Amino acid sequence: MSSFPSRGPLPSTSSAPRIPLEVDRISKSYGMVRALSEVSFTVPPGQIVGLLGPNGAGKSTTMKAVLGLIRPDAGQIRVFARDVQADPVATKREIGYVPEAPSLYEFLTGAEYLDFVADMYGIPRAVREERIPQFLSGLELAGHEDSLISGYSQGMKQKVALIAGLLHRPRLLVLDEPLNGLDPRSARVVKDLLRNLATTDGVGVLFSTHVLEIAEAICDRIIILSHGSVLAMDTVDALRARAGLPGSGLEDVFLALTGTGDLTEVVSALSR
Amino acid sequence: MNLHRVRRLSGVLVASQLRSGRSSSDPRSFLGQPALIGVLDAVLFLLAFALAELGVRSLPIAPGVLDPLVRAILPYLPMIAVAAVLVGGVMFELTSTSKFSGSDSANWLPLTPREYVSASSAAVAYTYSPAMALLLGAVLPLAIATGAFGAWVLAVLLSIASLFEGAFVVEMVRSLTQRMSSVSAGRRGQVTLLLRAALIVIVIVAFQFAFNPVLLFGLLQHAAILDLVTAIVPLFWSTQALTEWLAGQFAWGLLFGGAQIAFAALLLVLAARVRTRYWAVGTSEVRLSAVHYAAGHPALQALGLSPPEAAIASKDLRGYVRRRELLPMLVIPVVLVIIVVVEGGTIGGLGAILWIGWVAGFFSLLLALSSIGQERRALQSLYAFPISAKNLLRAKAAGVLIPALLGAVGTSVAVGLLFGFGGVEVLEVTALNCSAAFVLCFWGLVFAGRYSDFQERPRPQYLRPTAMLGAMGSGMVLLLVIVIPGGVAILSPALGNLGLLAWTAGSIVLLGALAVLWARSGFVRMFRELPF
Repeated sequence: MSSFPSRGPLPSTSSAPRIPLEVDRISKSYGMVRALSEVSFTVPPGQIVGLLGPNGAGKSTTMKAVLGLIRPDAGQIRVFARDVQADPVATKREIGYVPEAPSLYEFLTGAEYLDFVADMYGIPRAVREERIPQFLSGLELAGHEDSLISGYSQGMKQKVALIAGLLHRPRLLVLDEPLNGLDPRSARVVKDLLRNLATTDGVGVLFSTHVLEIAEAICDRIIILSHGSVLAMDTVDALRARAGLPGSGLEDVFLALTGTGDLTEVVSALSR
Repeated sequence: MNLHRVRRLSGVLVASQLRSGRSSSDPRSFLGQPALIGVLDAVLFLLAFALAELGVRSLPIAPGVLDPLVRAILPYLPMIAVAAVLVGGVMFELTSTSKFSGSDSANWLPLTPREYVSASSAAVAYTYSPAMALLLGAVLPLAIATGAFGAWVLAVLLSIASLFEGAFVVEMVRSLTQRMSSVSAGRRGQVTLLLRAALIVIVIVAFQFAFNPVLLFGLLQHAAILDLVTAIVPLFWSTQALTEWLAGQFAWGLLFGGAQIAFAALLLVLAARVRTRYWAVGTSEVRLSAVHYAAGHPALQALGLSPPEAAIASKDLRGYVRRRELLPMLVIPVVLVIIVVVEGGTIGGLGAILWIGWVAGFFSLLLALSSIGQERRALQSLYAFPISAKNLLRAKAAGVLIPALLGAVGTSVAVGLLFGFGGVEVLEVTALNCSAAFVLCFWGLVFAGRYSDFQERPRPQYLRPTAMLGAMGSGMVLLLVIVIPGGVAILSPALGNLGLLAWTAGSIVLLGALAVLWARSGFVRMFRELPF
């Protein structure tokens, strides 16, 4: 952890320390399929908010809407009080994004790719010379940065995507399954880093994962999405109480709340 | 060889090709079914047959005209089939990413190399069959009218074999270029990547000249022993077979026809062997010299690009020589320019200008059409960066115009020197060809911003097929409007060159402005929402 730079002199584009993310009754349909239905939540400064839900629940769609990658049919999304659709370029400067399945330019080396990302955010040379090697070293990519990304393993590509999302010191992080493919050490580094950024620098984090132990360990609040709607939104303890499962793990709570609790018959059928 | 597996896999490959456009993305739609191509074959065949039959019956054709016409067309149909597959193969079949050209999606299945090559070749041959259906339908009434129905049947068989021949050659090139991609594994430096790019281009160009009958025939026209050569070179055996058949030498016709089919079988065996050796996608770790993190790209920014625009353009420029799937596009202008050099003595100065102008514009169009689709899923990253649609358009235009204009200047000067043009003429030709490249760049971006295809598939395409046809067709019309009057004005002042120059200049300004405006509106619309 100590190898990562703390929040430094990179100029912030907005002076107001307002709520990093406000999602207000957004809906989105793809033809006849209702992907999101009046989804509302906030990500306050310094909080890690976990976005959980079964496959196809709308997690990635929500995150893409936050980035302005897709336009909701209704509702509004504000990043630091700025409407995402009204000023997408300024909004994107504030956000660090790691997509669910990062598609990197595999014909570039890791270093070239990160230099490219730094160009996109206008990061000065001195800052990138300081931060990129620190990230590479912290995630054990140092020594591989001059190889073409096409030769990287899945985990190495994920690390490059993570560095790309963190490089410009965003004040809001939108991370879609960010720990996919990471080795245990790197996953631990990233979790600790996220916690540090939230508590020390007040960064807001919206974090989706299917690994409920991770969500339980690092998230301040959990949002459970199901069929495009918010099913529950609270702290882990409050969700346990609501599910009537005090002392249980988040997995049991999740299965109970999403109505998929009794899997005995399914497992039995599949075992035959 | 399990024919059922071959048929199933080729069906999947054809379906992946068809289901690219949004309109056909519904898997239940007939537009997404492989049978569509069969129906298209039948429709085109019947349409061409009906029109030709109408022509034969209603036009006052003098006796003795049809017979030489059939003799001039029919023997060359199989050659056209091979050429169509090879040209199409370079443009569309060899542009798949290493993931798919190595056929990762099928490698885990219990398939033999011969089964995979057969299935993939069948899919390619089937995809290009409508062109042959059209030609065969048009020729049938002529063949019937001249009593050459037997020769027509033989032409059908040999054309099908030729479609497969071309597809087998494409498979070989696919495997070899895959191999070329990994020769640099474990090596260092930019030179390695340039060498790799050069090797891939050389392999494709060499195969074009070795197996493309149209090019080969053009070269052989200069040979004094043409008859002997056509009897020896397998690619001409189909022509020889049909010529002999039409001359009443049926035994020789069958012999050469059988030999050509045997040659196709040999190509299948060779293609399977090449694939057996080189199919695997190796992890090719290439190390480059250490990057010293530097803000911006001064050379590109000097052209007026902002740092993010310059970064995207620089990334695209690197991609041209580093991405195996983009390299085939560089082959097309190389082949076309070589044709000018080979044919230099016969096409004349004006012909050379028109040809080079066409190449410059076509190259620019091709790069522009692929400029957005080649981003694939990485487009999502561009959308997440703090850039606008205008930034993206400027960056993409720079990424196309830099190589296109360099190519236009280089080829114009080379042709000027080859044909002994004066200094002013060379400047005029250069300006004309650069203008063509400029207009066609933005014309390509008009389509790229609206109809790009981002799906990862075994046979990817950067643009939806119908849009590709529309862009190519309209682009060719634009080129004719610009290059023909411009070329005539430069070399034939007696024809009223001021008027033609004014027409050319006006066309360039008007069409260029329209293309820029349409491209801009397309990019703004595209940038509103991620298109996948």
